[in-house]
Amino acid sequence: MTDQITYPDVVQFAVPFFIAAILIEFLWIAMTKRGGRYETRDAVTSLIMGAGNVASGIVLGFVAWGFFMALWAITPLDMGTSIWAVLLCFVLDDLRYYWVHRFGHRIRWVWASHVNHHSSQHYNLTTALRQTWTGTFTFMMVVRAPLILMGFHPALVLFCGGLNLIYQFWIHTEAIGRMPRWFEAVMNTPSHHRAHHGRNARYLDCNYAGVFIIWDRMFGTFVPEQESDRVDYGLVHNLGSFNPLRVAFHEWVGIWRDVTQPGLTLRQRLGYAFAPPGYSHDGSRLTSEQIKAAHLARHPEDAGTPGFEERTGSPAPVVAE
Amino acid sequence: MAIELLLALVIGGIATIAALLHLSGRSERRRMMVDDVEAEWLRHFPDDIVIDHTLSRDGHAALVRTEAGPGLLWAFGADTVAQRLRDYDLTDHKRGYRVDFHDFATPHVILHLDEFERRHWRNLLERP
Repeated sequence: MTDQITYPDVVQFAVPFFIAAILIEFLWIAMTKRGGRYETRDAVTSLIMGAGNVASGIVLGFVAWGFFMALWAITPLDMGTSIWAVLLCFVLDDLRYYWVHRFGHRIRWVWASHVNHHSSQHYNLTTALRQTWTGTFTFMMVVRAPLILMGFHPALVLFCGGLNLIYQFWIHTEAIGRMPRWFEAVMNTPSHHRAHHGRNARYLDCNYAGVFIIWDRMFGTFVPEQESDRVDYGLVHNLGSFNPLRVAFHEWVGIWRDVTQPGLTLRQRLGYAFAPPGYSHDGSRLTSEQIKAAHLARHPEDAGTPGFEERTGSPAPVVAE
Repeated sequence: MAIELLLALVIGGIATIAALLHLSGRSERRRMMVDDVEAEWLRHFPDDIVIDHTLSRDGHAALVRTEAGPGLLWAFGADTVAQRLRDYDLTDHKRGYRVDFHDFATPHVILHLDEFERRHWRNLLERP
Protein backbone atom coordinates (compact mmCIF):
# COMPACT_ATOMS: atom_id res chain seq x y z
CA MET A 1 0.00 0.00 0.00
CA THR A 2 1.26 3.49 -0.89
CA ASP A 3 2.32 5.53 2.13
CA GLN A 4 4.58 8.16 0.58
CA ILE A 5 2.22 10.38 -1.40
CA THR A 6 2.47 14.15 -1.21
CA TYR A 7 0.34 16.90 -2.68
CA PRO A 8 0.95 20.64 -2.45
CA ASP A 9 -0.81 22.59 0.32
CA VAL A 10 -2.99 24.40 -2.18
CA VAL A 11 -4.59 26.71 0.37
CA GLN A 12 -1.22 28.17 1.35
CA PHE A 13 -0.27 28.61 -2.31
CA ALA A 14 -3.57 30.39 -2.91
CA VAL A 15 -2.85 33.13 -0.33
CA PRO A 16 -1.37 35.59 -2.89
CA PHE A 17 -4.39 34.98 -5.13
CA PHE A 18 -6.76 35.63 -2.20
CA ILE A 19 -5.07 38.96 -1.44
CA ALA A 20 -5.05 40.05 -5.08
CA ALA A 21 -8.70 39.08 -5.58
CA ILE A 22 -9.77 41.02 -2.47
CA LEU A 23 -7.96 44.12 -3.75
CA ILE A 24 -9.58 43.75 -7.17
CA GLU A 25 -13.06 43.28 -5.66
CA PHE A 26 -12.60 46.32 -3.43
CA LEU A 27 -11.40 48.50 -6.31
CA TRP A 28 -14.34 47.30 -8.41
CA ILE A 29 -16.79 48.26 -5.67
CA ALA A 30 -15.06 51.61 -5.08
CA MET A 31 -15.08 52.50 -8.79
CA THR A 32 -18.54 51.25 -9.75
CA LYS A 33 -20.29 52.07 -6.42
CA ARG A 34 -22.03 48.70 -6.53
CA GLY A 35 -21.36 45.04 -5.93
CA GLY A 36 -20.99 44.98 -2.17
CA ARG A 37 -19.64 46.79 0.86
CA TYR A 38 -16.37 46.82 2.80
CA GLU A 39 -15.77 47.99 6.36
CA THR A 40 -12.28 48.21 7.82
CA ARG A 41 -12.64 46.42 11.15
CA ASP A 42 -14.98 43.80 9.73
CA ALA A 43 -12.52 42.98 6.95
CA VAL A 44 -9.50 42.94 9.27
CA THR A 45 -11.33 40.59 11.65
CA SER A 46 -12.13 38.26 8.76
CA LEU A 47 -8.53 38.28 7.56
CA ILE A 48 -7.18 37.58 11.06
CA MET A 49 -9.66 34.70 11.36
CA GLY A 50 -8.31 33.35 8.09
CA ALA A 51 -4.71 33.62 9.26
CA GLY A 52 -5.64 31.95 12.54
CA ASN A 53 -7.31 29.13 10.63
CA VAL A 54 -4.08 28.41 8.76
CA ALA A 55 -2.14 28.63 12.03
CA SER A 56 -4.51 26.24 13.83
CA GLY A 57 -4.13 23.83 10.92
CA ILE A 58 -0.35 23.91 11.34
CA VAL A 59 -0.59 23.44 15.13
CA LEU A 60 -3.48 20.94 15.35
CA GLY A 61 -3.35 19.30 11.93
CA PHE A 62 -1.48 16.33 13.34
CA VAL A 63 -4.63 15.17 15.17
CA ALA A 64 -6.66 14.60 12.00
CA TRP A 65 -3.60 13.41 10.09
CA GLY A 66 -2.82 10.79 12.73
CA PHE A 67 -6.42 9.59 12.67
CA PHE A 68 -6.43 9.37 8.86
CA MET A 69 -3.12 7.50 8.71
CA ALA A 70 -4.39 5.01 11.29
CA LEU A 71 -7.38 4.34 9.03
CA TRP A 72 -5.11 4.11 6.00
CA ALA A 73 -3.02 1.49 7.77
CA ILE A 74 -6.01 -0.80 8.28
CA THR A 75 -7.84 -0.44 4.97
CA PRO A 76 -7.09 -3.13 2.39
CA LEU A 77 -8.23 -0.84 -0.46
CA ASP A 78 -6.11 1.51 -2.56
CA MET A 79 -7.76 3.65 -5.23
CA GLY A 80 -4.40 4.94 -6.42
CA THR A 81 -3.63 8.42 -7.70
CA SER A 82 -4.93 8.36 -11.27
CA ILE A 83 -6.82 11.38 -12.57
CA TRP A 84 -10.05 9.36 -12.22
CA ALA A 85 -9.26 8.63 -8.61
CA VAL A 86 -8.63 12.33 -8.00
CA LEU A 87 -11.90 13.34 -9.71
CA LEU A 88 -13.93 10.71 -7.85
CA CYS A 89 -12.31 11.71 -4.57
CA PHE A 90 -13.10 15.38 -5.26
CA VAL A 91 -16.79 14.65 -5.88
CA LEU A 92 -17.14 12.35 -2.88
CA ASP A 93 -15.25 14.80 -0.67
CA ASP A 94 -17.71 17.48 -1.77
CA LEU A 95 -20.54 15.20 -0.62
CA ARG A 96 -18.63 14.83 2.65
CA TYR A 97 -18.41 18.64 2.84
CA TYR A 98 -22.18 18.98 2.34
CA TRP A 99 -22.90 16.79 5.35
CA VAL A 100 -20.24 18.29 7.59
CA HIS A 101 -21.60 21.73 6.70
CA ARG A 102 -25.16 20.60 7.37
CA PHE A 103 -24.10 19.18 10.75
CA GLY A 104 -22.37 22.52 11.31
CA HIS A 105 -25.72 24.27 11.18
CA ARG A 106 -27.82 21.64 12.92
CA ILE A 107 -25.63 20.51 15.84
CA ARG A 108 -24.65 23.26 18.27
CA TRP A 109 -21.32 21.59 19.09
CA VAL A 110 -20.31 21.87 15.43
CA TRP A 111 -22.02 25.25 15.00
CA ALA A 112 -19.76 26.58 17.78
CA SER A 113 -16.88 26.13 15.36
CA HIS A 114 -18.65 27.21 12.18
CA VAL A 115 -20.60 30.19 13.56
CA ASN A 116 -17.68 32.59 13.14
CA HIS A 117 -17.87 32.17 9.36
CA HIS A 118 -21.40 33.63 9.49
CA SER A 119 -20.64 36.35 12.02
CA SER A 120 -19.98 39.19 9.58
CA GLN A 121 -22.84 41.46 8.52
CA HIS A 122 -20.93 41.98 5.29
CA TYR A 123 -20.53 39.64 2.34
CA ASN A 124 -17.37 40.07 0.35
CA LEU A 125 -14.24 38.08 -0.42
CA THR A 126 -12.82 38.69 3.06
CA THR A 127 -15.86 36.90 4.48
CA ALA A 128 -14.68 33.74 2.71
CA LEU A 129 -11.53 33.83 4.84
CA ARG A 130 -13.43 34.22 8.14
CA GLN A 131 -12.76 30.60 9.02
CA THR A 132 -12.79 28.58 12.22
CA TRP A 133 -9.92 28.11 14.64
CA THR A 134 -11.61 25.25 16.48
CA GLY A 135 -12.60 22.78 13.77
CA THR A 136 -10.47 20.02 15.29
CA PHE A 137 -12.61 20.04 18.44
CA THR A 138 -15.80 19.23 16.52
CA PHE A 139 -14.35 15.80 15.58
CA MET A 140 -15.92 16.18 12.15
CA MET A 141 -12.81 14.52 10.73
CA VAL A 142 -14.69 11.24 11.30
CA VAL A 143 -16.91 12.12 8.33
CA ARG A 144 -13.83 11.72 6.13
CA ALA A 145 -13.22 8.19 7.45
CA PRO A 146 -15.32 6.44 4.76
CA LEU A 147 -13.24 8.08 2.01
CA ILE A 148 -10.00 6.77 3.46
CA LEU A 149 -11.45 3.33 4.18
CA MET A 150 -12.58 3.25 0.53
CA GLY A 151 -8.92 3.54 -0.45
CA PHE A 152 -8.33 7.25 -1.04
CA HIS A 153 -4.99 8.24 0.46
CA PRO A 154 -5.26 10.84 3.26
CA ALA A 155 -2.98 13.21 1.32
CA LEU A 156 -5.33 13.00 -1.67
CA VAL A 157 -8.39 13.56 0.52
CA LEU A 158 -6.83 16.67 2.11
CA PHE A 159 -5.73 17.91 -1.33
CA CYS A 160 -9.32 17.65 -2.57
CA GLY A 161 -10.53 19.40 0.60
CA GLY A 162 -8.11 22.25 -0.11
CA LEU A 163 -9.36 22.59 -3.69
CA ASN A 164 -12.92 22.61 -2.34
CA LEU A 165 -12.08 25.46 0.03
CA ILE A 166 -10.41 27.45 -2.76
CA TYR A 167 -13.46 26.99 -5.01
CA GLN A 168 -15.65 28.46 -2.28
CA PHE A 169 -13.57 31.64 -2.07
CA TRP A 170 -14.94 33.31 -5.20
CA ILE A 171 -18.60 32.70 -4.34
CA HIS A 172 -18.40 35.07 -1.35
CA THR A 173 -19.17 38.19 -3.34
CA GLU A 174 -22.02 40.50 -4.25
CA ALA A 175 -20.09 41.72 -7.28
CA ILE A 176 -21.34 38.76 -9.35
CA GLY A 177 -25.09 38.48 -9.88
CA ARG A 178 -26.13 35.25 -11.53
CA MET A 179 -24.08 32.81 -13.58
CA PRO A 180 -25.47 31.07 -16.70
CA ARG A 181 -28.47 28.84 -15.96
CA TRP A 182 -26.67 25.56 -16.60
CA PHE A 183 -23.94 26.64 -14.16
CA GLU A 184 -26.45 27.74 -11.49
CA ALA A 185 -28.16 24.36 -11.86
CA VAL A 186 -25.08 22.28 -11.10
CA MET A 187 -22.52 24.42 -9.30
CA ASN A 188 -22.52 26.42 -6.11
CA THR A 189 -22.50 30.10 -7.10
CA PRO A 190 -22.38 33.54 -5.47
CA SER A 191 -26.18 33.71 -5.69
CA HIS A 192 -26.72 30.33 -3.97
CA HIS A 193 -24.17 31.07 -1.30
CA ARG A 194 -25.49 34.57 -0.60
CA ALA A 195 -28.74 32.87 0.35
CA HIS A 196 -26.82 30.51 2.63
CA HIS A 197 -25.36 33.49 4.51
CA GLY A 198 -28.76 35.12 5.01
CA ARG A 199 -30.21 35.66 8.49
CA ASN A 200 -33.65 36.19 6.99
CA ALA A 201 -36.07 33.46 8.13
CA ARG A 202 -36.38 32.27 4.52
CA TYR A 203 -32.69 31.53 4.15
CA LEU A 204 -31.94 29.82 7.48
CA ASP A 205 -30.42 26.35 7.05
CA CYS A 206 -30.25 26.19 3.26
CA ASN A 207 -27.64 25.74 0.51
CA TYR A 208 -24.98 23.79 2.39
CA ALA A 209 -23.10 22.89 -0.80
CA GLY A 210 -19.39 23.39 -1.24
CA VAL A 211 -18.82 23.00 -4.97
CA PHE A 212 -21.86 21.18 -6.40
CA ILE A 213 -25.29 22.60 -5.52
CA ILE A 214 -26.80 19.31 -6.66
CA TRP A 215 -26.43 17.94 -3.10
CA ASP A 216 -28.89 20.56 -1.81
CA ARG A 217 -31.28 19.80 -4.64
CA MET A 218 -31.01 16.07 -3.86
CA PHE A 219 -31.44 16.37 -0.10
CA GLY A 220 -34.14 19.06 -0.12
CA THR A 221 -32.20 21.98 1.34
CA PHE A 222 -31.97 24.20 -1.76
CA VAL A 223 -33.46 27.70 -1.57
CA PRO A 224 -32.83 30.07 -4.50
CA GLU A 225 -31.97 33.69 -3.78
CA GLN A 226 -35.11 35.79 -4.13
CA GLU A 227 -35.23 39.22 -5.72
CA SER A 228 -38.15 40.01 -3.41
CA ASP A 229 -36.30 39.09 -0.21
CA ARG A 230 -32.88 40.73 -0.20
CA VAL A 231 -30.36 38.77 1.81
CA ASP A 232 -29.55 40.28 5.21
CA TYR A 233 -26.13 38.88 6.15
CA GLY A 234 -24.98 37.80 9.58
CA LEU A 235 -26.34 35.91 12.55
CA VAL A 236 -29.85 35.81 13.96
CA HIS A 237 -28.29 37.56 16.98
CA ASN A 238 -25.38 39.54 15.61
CA LEU A 239 -22.15 39.90 17.56
CA GLY A 240 -21.22 43.22 19.14
CA SER A 241 -17.46 42.73 18.97
CA PHE A 242 -14.79 42.70 16.28
CA ASN A 243 -12.34 41.00 18.65
CA PRO A 244 -11.17 37.80 16.86
CA LEU A 245 -10.91 35.92 20.16
CA ARG A 246 -14.55 36.66 20.93
CA VAL A 247 -15.54 35.78 17.36
CA ALA A 248 -13.67 32.47 17.55
CA PHE A 249 -14.81 31.32 20.97
CA HIS A 250 -18.13 33.01 21.82
CA GLU A 251 -20.35 30.04 21.04
CA TRP A 252 -18.09 27.64 22.99
CA VAL A 253 -18.40 30.01 25.96
CA GLY A 254 -22.16 30.06 25.41
CA ILE A 255 -22.32 26.26 25.44
CA TRP A 256 -20.28 26.13 28.64
CA ARG A 257 -22.53 28.66 30.39
CA ASP A 258 -25.70 26.90 29.26
CA VAL A 259 -24.55 23.37 30.07
CA THR A 260 -23.29 24.28 33.53
CA GLN A 261 -26.28 26.32 34.70
CA PRO A 262 -27.85 24.80 37.81
CA GLY A 263 -31.06 22.84 37.93
CA LEU A 264 -31.01 21.14 34.54
CA THR A 265 -31.56 17.48 33.76
CA LEU A 266 -28.84 15.54 31.92
CA ARG A 267 -31.03 15.53 28.81
CA GLN A 268 -31.31 19.32 28.92
CA ARG A 269 -27.56 19.73 29.36
CA LEU A 270 -26.94 17.47 26.36
CA GLY A 271 -29.53 19.48 24.44
CA TYR A 272 -27.58 22.69 25.00
CA ALA A 273 -24.46 21.02 23.59
CA PHE A 274 -25.78 18.91 20.75
CA ALA A 275 -29.33 19.99 19.80
CA PRO A 276 -29.83 22.46 16.95
CA PRO A 277 -28.72 26.05 17.67
CA GLY A 278 -31.52 27.94 19.40
CA TYR A 279 -32.52 25.03 21.63
CA SER A 280 -33.45 26.04 25.16
CA HIS A 281 -35.01 24.06 27.99
CA ASP A 282 -37.46 26.86 28.82
CA GLY A 283 -38.46 28.09 25.36
CA SER A 284 -36.57 31.36 25.80
CA ARG A 285 -34.77 31.00 22.44
CA LEU A 286 -35.84 30.02 18.95
CA THR A 287 -34.53 27.35 16.62
CA SER A 288 -34.53 28.03 12.90
CA GLU A 289 -37.79 26.06 12.47
CA GLN A 290 -39.43 28.22 15.13
CA ILE A 291 -38.07 31.41 13.55
CA LYS A 292 -39.57 30.35 10.21
CA ALA A 293 -42.89 29.53 11.91
CA ALA A 294 -42.90 32.92 13.66
CA HIS A 295 -42.19 34.61 10.32
CA LEU A 296 -45.11 32.80 8.71
CA ALA A 297 -47.36 33.86 11.57
CA ARG A 298 -46.48 37.49 10.68
CA HIS A 299 -46.39 36.91 6.93
CA PRO A 300 -48.76 34.08 6.00
CA GLU A 301 -48.50 35.17 2.37
CA ASP A 302 -44.98 33.68 2.30
CA ALA A 303 -46.24 30.14 2.98
CA GLY A 304 -45.29 27.82 0.15
CA THR A 305 -42.63 30.13 -1.26
CA PRO A 306 -38.96 29.04 -1.36
CA GLY A 307 -37.62 28.48 2.14
CA PHE A 308 -41.09 28.05 3.60
CA GLU A 309 -42.42 25.05 1.69
CA GLU A 310 -42.27 22.27 4.27
CA ARG A 311 -42.85 24.13 7.46
CA THR A 312 -46.12 25.89 6.72
CA GLY A 313 -47.99 23.67 9.18
CA SER A 314 -45.63 24.36 12.09
CA PRO A 315 -47.26 26.25 14.92
CA ALA A 316 -45.90 29.65 15.80
CA PRO A 317 -43.87 29.36 18.99
CA VAL A 318 -44.75 30.93 22.27
CA VAL A 319 -41.59 32.73 23.31
CA ALA A 320 -40.85 33.30 26.96
CA GLU A 321 -39.50 36.86 27.14
CA MET B 1 5.64 27.43 0.91
CA ALA B 2 8.27 28.62 3.37
CA ILE B 3 6.72 29.75 6.64
CA GLU B 4 8.64 33.05 6.49
CA LEU B 5 7.18 33.85 3.07
CA LEU B 6 3.68 32.84 4.19
CA LEU B 7 3.95 35.09 7.25
CA ALA B 8 5.18 38.02 5.17
CA LEU B 9 2.33 37.56 2.69
CA VAL B 10 -0.32 37.33 5.41
CA ILE B 11 0.92 40.26 7.50
CA GLY B 12 1.65 42.42 4.46
CA GLY B 13 -1.69 41.54 2.88
CA ILE B 14 -3.71 42.34 5.97
CA ALA B 15 -1.84 45.62 6.53
CA THR B 16 -2.27 46.70 2.90
CA ILE B 17 -5.98 45.92 2.82
CA ALA B 18 -6.57 47.60 6.21
CA ALA B 19 -4.73 50.76 5.14
CA LEU B 20 -6.57 50.91 1.83
CA LEU B 21 -9.97 50.54 3.49
CA HIS B 22 -9.24 53.07 6.21
CA LEU B 23 -7.82 55.68 3.85
CA SER B 24 -10.84 55.32 1.57
CA GLY B 25 -13.25 56.12 4.42
CA ARG B 26 -14.43 52.58 5.21
CA SER B 27 -13.83 53.01 8.96
CA GLU B 28 -16.68 55.44 9.54
CA ARG B 29 -19.36 54.27 11.95
CA ARG B 30 -22.97 54.08 10.89
CA ARG B 31 -24.85 57.29 11.60
CA MET B 32 -28.56 56.63 12.01
CA MET B 33 -31.40 59.00 11.27
CA VAL B 34 -34.58 59.00 13.37
CA ASP B 35 -36.44 57.17 10.63
CA ASP B 36 -33.85 54.37 10.61
CA VAL B 37 -34.17 53.35 14.23
CA GLU B 38 -37.39 51.33 14.21
CA ALA B 39 -36.46 49.47 11.02
CA GLU B 40 -33.02 48.67 12.39
CA TRP B 41 -34.48 47.42 15.66
CA LEU B 42 -36.97 45.22 13.84
CA ARG B 43 -34.13 43.84 11.73
CA HIS B 44 -32.66 42.45 14.95
CA PHE B 45 -35.93 41.63 16.74
CA PRO B 46 -38.59 41.14 14.05
CA ASP B 47 -41.28 39.99 16.50
CA ASP B 48 -41.10 43.18 18.59
CA ILE B 49 -43.52 46.06 18.67
CA VAL B 50 -41.65 49.35 19.07
CA ILE B 51 -43.33 51.90 21.32
CA ASP B 52 -40.88 54.79 20.93
CA HIS B 53 -37.18 55.52 20.67
CA THR B 54 -34.58 58.16 21.47
CA LEU B 55 -31.67 58.69 19.10
CA SER B 56 -28.41 60.13 20.41
CA ARG B 57 -27.30 63.43 18.89
CA ASP B 58 -24.32 61.81 17.20
CA GLY B 59 -26.66 59.26 15.55
CA HIS B 60 -24.59 56.34 16.77
CA ALA B 61 -26.97 54.92 19.40
CA ALA B 62 -30.64 54.78 20.26
CA LEU B 63 -32.67 53.75 23.28
CA VAL B 64 -35.64 51.77 22.08
CA ARG B 65 -38.75 51.05 24.13
CA THR B 66 -40.65 47.96 23.00
CA GLU B 67 -43.54 45.93 24.36
CA ALA B 68 -40.92 43.32 25.32
CA GLY B 69 -38.94 45.88 27.32
CA PRO B 70 -36.24 48.48 26.67
CA GLY B 71 -33.27 47.93 24.42
CA LEU B 72 -30.19 49.58 23.07
CA LEU B 73 -29.35 49.89 19.37
CA TRP B 74 -25.94 51.15 18.33
CA ALA B 75 -23.64 51.55 15.40
CA PHE B 76 -21.29 48.64 14.87
CA GLY B 77 -18.93 49.61 12.12
CA ALA B 78 -21.08 50.32 9.08
CA ASP B 79 -23.94 48.29 10.56
CA THR B 80 -25.83 48.08 13.84
CA VAL B 81 -26.30 45.66 16.71
CA ALA B 82 -29.01 45.59 19.34
CA GLN B 83 -29.39 44.25 22.84
CA ARG B 84 -32.30 44.10 25.23
CA LEU B 85 -31.55 45.99 28.43
CA ARG B 86 -32.12 43.26 30.99
CA ASP B 87 -28.84 42.11 32.50
CA TYR B 88 -26.49 45.06 32.26
CA ASP B 89 -24.44 47.60 34.21
CA LEU B 90 -24.42 51.31 33.43
CA THR B 91 -21.36 53.29 34.53
CA ASP B 92 -20.19 56.84 33.92
CA HIS B 93 -17.65 57.34 31.19
CA LYS B 94 -15.80 60.50 30.23
CA ARG B 95 -17.71 60.56 26.94
CA GLY B 96 -21.08 59.51 28.30
CA TYR B 97 -21.91 56.04 29.59
CA ARG B 98 -20.40 52.60 29.41
CA VAL B 99 -22.91 49.75 29.19
CA ASP B 100 -21.70 46.26 30.14
CA PHE B 101 -23.95 43.44 28.94
CA HIS B 102 -22.45 40.40 30.70
CA ASP B 103 -22.36 38.75 27.28
CA PHE B 104 -19.09 37.29 25.92
CA ALA B 105 -20.12 38.01 22.32
CA THR B 106 -21.17 41.60 23.07
CA PRO B 107 -19.19 42.70 26.12
CA HIS B 108 -19.84 46.45 26.25
CA VAL B 109 -20.51 49.64 24.36
CA ILE B 110 -19.47 53.25 25.03
CA LEU B 111 -22.27 55.74 24.45
CA HIS B 112 -21.14 59.23 23.43
CA LEU B 113 -23.60 61.61 25.06
CA ASP B 114 -23.41 65.29 25.96
CA GLU B 115 -24.33 66.52 29.42
CA PHE B 116 -28.01 67.04 28.62
CA GLU B 117 -28.29 63.66 26.97
CA ARG B 118 -26.61 61.94 29.92
CA ARG B 119 -29.30 63.15 32.30
CA HIS B 120 -32.07 62.46 29.83
CA TRP B 121 -30.89 58.92 29.04
CA ARG B 122 -30.38 58.18 32.73
CA ASN B 123 -34.01 59.16 33.36
CA LEU B 124 -35.17 57.04 30.45
CA LEU B 125 -33.18 54.04 31.67
CA GLU B 126 -34.50 54.35 35.20
CA ARG B 127 -38.08 54.66 33.97
CA PRO B 128 -40.10 51.67 35.21
